[in-house]
Amino acid sequence: MTEAKEITIPTADPNDPYANPAAMPSSADRNPRSFDVDAFPMPARKQDDWRYTPIERIDEFFTVFTPSGETRIEVGMIDGSPLPSGVKLTQTKLGEGLSGTVSKPSDRAAAVEWNSGATATVIELSGEIKQPVLVKVHGAGMDLDAFHLVIAAADNAHADVVVEHDGDARLAEGVEITTGRHSQVSTTFVQEWGAGSKHVGNHRIHVGEGASLRHCVVTLGGDVVRIRMDQDFGGEQGDLNMLGIYFVDPGEHIEHRTMVVHNQPDCKSRVVYKGALDGKGAHSTWVGNALIEPTAPGTDSYELNRNLVLTPGAIADSEPNLEIENGNIIGAGHASSVGRFNDEELFYLESRGVSETEARKLVVRGFFNELVEEIGIPAICEHLMDVIDKRLARGESDAMAQVLEEQ
Amino acid sequence: MSTLEIKDLYAHVETKEGIKPILKGVNLTVNSDETHAIMGPNGSGKSTLAYTLAGHPKYVVDGGEVLLDGQDILKMTPDERAKAGLFLAMQYPVEVPGVSMTNFLRTAKTEIDGKAPSIRTWARELSEAMKRLKMDPKFATRSVNEGFSGGEKKRAEVLQLELLKPKFAILDETDSGLDVDALRIVSEGVNRAKEANKFGILMVTHYTRILKYIKPDIVHVFADGHFVKTGGPELADELEENGYDQYLPEGADSESALA
Repeated sequence: MTEAKEITIPTADPNDPYANPAAMPSSADRNPRSFDVDAFPMPARKQDDWRYTPIERIDEFFTVFTPSGETRIEVGMIDGSPLPSGVKLTQTKLGEGLSGTVSKPSDRAAAVEWNSGATATVIELSGEIKQPVLVKVHGAGMDLDAFHLVIAAADNAHADVVVEHDGDARLAEGVEITTGRHSQVSTTFVQEWGAGSKHVGNHRIHVGEGASLRHCVVTLGGDVVRIRMDQDFGGEQGDLNMLGIYFVDPGEHIEHRTMVVHNQPDCKSRVVYKGALDGKGAHSTWVGNALIEPTAPGTDSYELNRNLVLTPGAIADSEPNLEIENGNIIGAGHASSVGRFNDEELFYLESRGVSETEARKLVVRGFFNELVEEIGIPAICEHLMDVIDKRLARGESDAMAQVLEEQ
Repeated sequence: MSTLEIKDLYAHVETKEGIKPILKGVNLTVNSDETHAIMGPNGSGKSTLAYTLAGHPKYVVDGGEVLLDGQDILKMTPDERAKAGLFLAMQYPVEVPGVSMTNFLRTAKTEIDGKAPSIRTWARELSEAMKRLKMDPKFATRSVNEGFSGGEKKRAEVLQLELLKPKFAILDETDSGLDVDALRIVSEGVNRAKEANKFGILMVTHYTRILKYIKPDIVHVFADGHFVKTGGPELADELEENGYDQYLPEGADSESALA
C-alpha cells in the first residue's frame, strides 16, 4: 500500500496570473466535458478544436440522429477460436453497466454519438488472454449509424484487442477503454473504409495504476476520418504508448487528435504518429496535446509526428502542444516533421534494379515498419503489415503484388 | 561477351556557385572479364564517373554516350541500367530504415531477373553467400545498411554483387575504410563473383592496396575529368612510387571535395 501524500496545489491570483503560471487555466479547465449535446457549440472552423477539420463534410455528425443499425459487429479471437473464459462479451443499454463510466464526451460529435446510439458492446477482459480478441466492424451502407464499444480490463489482466473497420459507412463511434491496476493491454484500431465513407470517433481512455496500455490507430482509408482520443491516468506508474499510422489518398481528410493528460505522479506517455500522404487534396491532421497537471510530478512524456509527402499537392497539418504545469518532471518532449522522400535512399534502391515506383513503396513500407515493429506483439505486427502491404500493393501486377505481400 | 563503351562523356553538377563541369571527355572501353583500375587524385571526378554511369540525378550529362552492348544507357533510368546489367558498389551505401536486407535483396533480385526467385533456392543462395563473406546471419533481418559498420556495409555491397550477377560492376572505393581482414574478405568476394559470372570491373580507388587482391588487367590514371594515362598493372606501382602530382594541371586543387 502506498501512503497517501498530501500535495498543495497553488491557486491563481487573478490580478497577477504570471505570479503562479501553474495555476493558470489549462485547456482542461476551458474545455467542457458533458453527455449533453448542448454543452458544446456547433463546430466552426474558428474554434481551435475544429480549425483543421472540413466540418462541412461531416456536419451530419453534429445533430442527434436515428442510427440505421446496419453496421455489423462480430467479436471473436483473431485465430478464429471461440472466446476464452477471460473474455466476457455483453450488450447493454447506453448509460448502463460499464458504458459511460470513462470520463465524458469532449466535443459535440462525441456527445451526439452518445445521445444517438442505444446500446453498447462491452468486452470485459480478465486474466491472461493468449490470442488477441478481434472485433470486426463492418459498414453495410451509407446510412448514418452509431456504434459504442467499451473495453474494460480487470486488474492484472494481460490482453490484446484488435478492432477492424471496413465496408462503406457513415459511422459515429464512441470507444471507452479502462484498464485495471497493473494490467498490460494493447488495443489496435484499424480503419480500412471504402471510398466515400466517413467516420467520426472519440476514444476515452483511462489507464490504471501501474498499468501499461498500448493504443494503436491505423487509418488507411475513408473520405473523412476524425478520431479524437482523450486519456487520463488512474494512479502512479501508468504507462501509455500511443502509436498511429495513416495513409491518405487524394481528397481524403484523416485526422487524429491525441489528448494525453498526466494527472498522476510518475507516469509515462509516448505518442508516435506517422503518416504518408499521396496526391492532390490528401489532407492529414495530427494534433497532439500533452497536459501535465500540477498533480503529476515525475512525468515522462514525449510526442512525435512524422509525415511523408509522397506526391505534390498533399497537405499535412501537424501540431504538437505541451501544457506543463509541474516543473518537477523527467521530460516533456515533442517533435514534428513533414518531409519528402530522401533522394539518396531512392537512388540506392533504383540502382539495384528497383523501379522508382517500387522504391517509393519500399521506403514507405519501411517508414511504417519501423513503427509497427515497436508494437512487439507478433500476431498484431503481422496483421498490420499485412494490411499495409495490401494497401501498397493496390494497382500492382499480380507477380509484384505477391512479392510485396509475402514480405 | 559484353562491352561497355564510354564515348566522349561530359557531365556537370550544379553547386551554389553555379554549374561545375566535372567529366570532360571520358573515353573507355571495358569488356567482360576485364578488370580496369581507375586511379587518380581526390577531386579528379572518379566517383562522379561512377555515379554518372549509374544514373544519379545529381550529375547532369552534357554530351557523349555510354553503350552497354550497343545500347545507350544514358537514356535509361537508374533501375533500367541495373536491369541492363550495370552494378555500382557505393563508397557510402545508403541506409534505408525499416526495409529489411532480406526484403530488399529479394525485391532487387525479382526486378533484375524479371521474376521472383524460387523461395527455397534463394534462401540457400543468400545464406551461403553471407557465410562466405563472413556476415552474421542477423544482418539479413536488419534494415538495409542501418547500424552497419563501414566494413559491414562494404560486405553487403559485395553480397549484392554476388547475388545480382551484373555484366559490369563499378566498385567505387570499395577498399576505403576497411581493415586488412575485411579488405581480404571483400576482395575475395569480388573475385569469387567475377569467377562465377565473368563480368567486367571498373574499380575506382586511390590506393594500390586493393590491387594486391583484385588484380587489374588495365590501370588508368584519371585526372581533371578524363583519362590521362593507361597502362598495365605496372602503372599502379609507378603511381604508388611517384604519386599523382605529375598528372595534375597547373595550380589544380587536388583536395576538392567533389569526388
